Formats: sequence, C-alpha cells, structure tokens
Amino acid sequence: MTDVAPPHAEEQGPLEGVIKGEVLRMYQEVAEHPEGEFHFYHGRRAAEMFGYATDWLDRAPGGAVASFAGVGNPHLRSRLQPGEMVLDLGSGAGLDSIIAAWQVGPAGRVSGVDLNPEMRAKAQAHAREAGLANVEFRDGRMEDIPVPDQAIDVVISNGVINLSFRKRHVIGELFRVLGAGGRIAITDIVSAKPLSQSIVSDPKLWAS
Amino acid sequence: MFALLEDAGFKRVRSTIIPGFAFRKESTRDAAEAYGVKAVLLTAQRPGK
Repeated sequence: MTDVAPPHAEEQGPLEGVIKGEVLRMYQEVAEHPEGEFHFYHGRRAAEMFGYATDWLDRAPGGAVASFAGVGNPHLRSRLQPGEMVLDLGSGAGLDSIIAAWQVGPAGRVSGVDLNPEMRAKAQAHAREAGLANVEFRDGRMEDIPVPDQAIDVVISNGVINLSFRKRHVIGELFRVLGAGGRIAITDIVSAKPLSQSIVSDPKLWAS
Repeated sequence: MFALLEDAGFKRVRSTIIPGFAFRKESTRDAAEAYGVKAVLLTAQRPGK
C-alpha cells in the first residue's frame, strides 16, 4: 500500500494552497450542514459503521456525532489510560476528542488541533455541552503542530493525514510531539497504486 | 504511510484494513476501487521506554 498522494506530491507547492482551500471549504460544509450529502459517509451512520460504541454515540452531543467525518475508529487500538495526554490531530467537530477525554479522565488532557475555525468553534461548544474541562481545541496545521516536543502520550487522528501534501513532515511532527514510549492510533486512507497526476491535481478529489 | 512511520523512527508499526469503509458516491467509489484505495488503522510506538 502507498499513500494516496505519491511522494512527488510533496514538491507541488503552488497547488498546496488550492487544495488546502478546498479541504477547508468541504469540512466547513460538513460543519454547517451535517444533513448534506458528501462523497464520504458521515454522522452517526458512519460512526456506527466503524464500530463506535452505541453508548458513546448516545452520550456525546448530537452535533458532534452529526458532523463526524472520520474514516474509521482509532479508539479500537488507542488503549487510552487515565491521566494520559492525548493529541487529536484534525479534531473536526470534536467527537473523537470527547471520547478520548472520557477515557483519560480528569487527570488527563486532550488537545484537539484543526485548521478549520468553524469546526474548532463547534468542537469547543460540544465539549462544553458534554461538561468536559479536560479538552481544548487549538488552531494549527498538521505540518506544524502547536505542541511542545515530547508533550504527548498518545496521538489519535481520523482521516486527516491523507489530506496533507507533506506526509513525511507530518509523521515527523508526530514523532516530535510524542514522549518516549508514546503511541499513535491513526485511521486514514491509503492506495495500493500511485494515483494519476489528474487525480493528484484535482482539489475536489483531495477533499473528498 | 507505513514506510513513513518506520522511516521516522517509529517501532511496532502495525496496519489493519478497516472493513466496511467505502465512499458514498458511486463515481468516487469506482475510482477508489480502481486504485485500490483502502482505509487502514495504523498503530506505532515511539521508542525509548
């Protein structure tokens, strides 16, 4: 399996801004209109499809569930423990951060990072609605994570890293923020074959 | 991404295909199938403990 974007995609600087704009637009649409139809399954239907526990989905704020746009369930392998520090890379509307905050408890902390201001605002509102004081949401890009070196015990992420042109750099950032023995549990999309240049250059397909 | 994790220094890198993942729209689904696009769950550990 290879990454969805071939290695040479990291050298296509001028296209990166266009792709980033389309990704922002798509996920803003999910945040504002979760009832809409997208290329990907989303909301409760998607979360159930990926094995999210029913009691989590019943307990979480409805808006966080409705705007869920992941590609899997990182909690199946995250093995979060009370007191751990968690980074949710690309935290979206906050469902995965909220579930992580429940697992690490009041002695732990979850930092969600997302570049989409609408999603961050929604996530913050959902965390408040859930009564959680151990989760925060920060503005940031996955290529430059706003977290000090070795500050994190576990990184979770759900369908986000495939959206970056600079995956090698993103992975390096994950290594930097994790402490010794730190873990990652990431769900994402990969392809068995290198994608054609026409696909790699299509902002709408990147965002789908 | 598996190789990128190993190159970065991660250990115990594991990858599992996520059953049931699919794009909703048929046109996207067909293109994804042609390129072998899959969703995976990746786990790994930073050494040092």
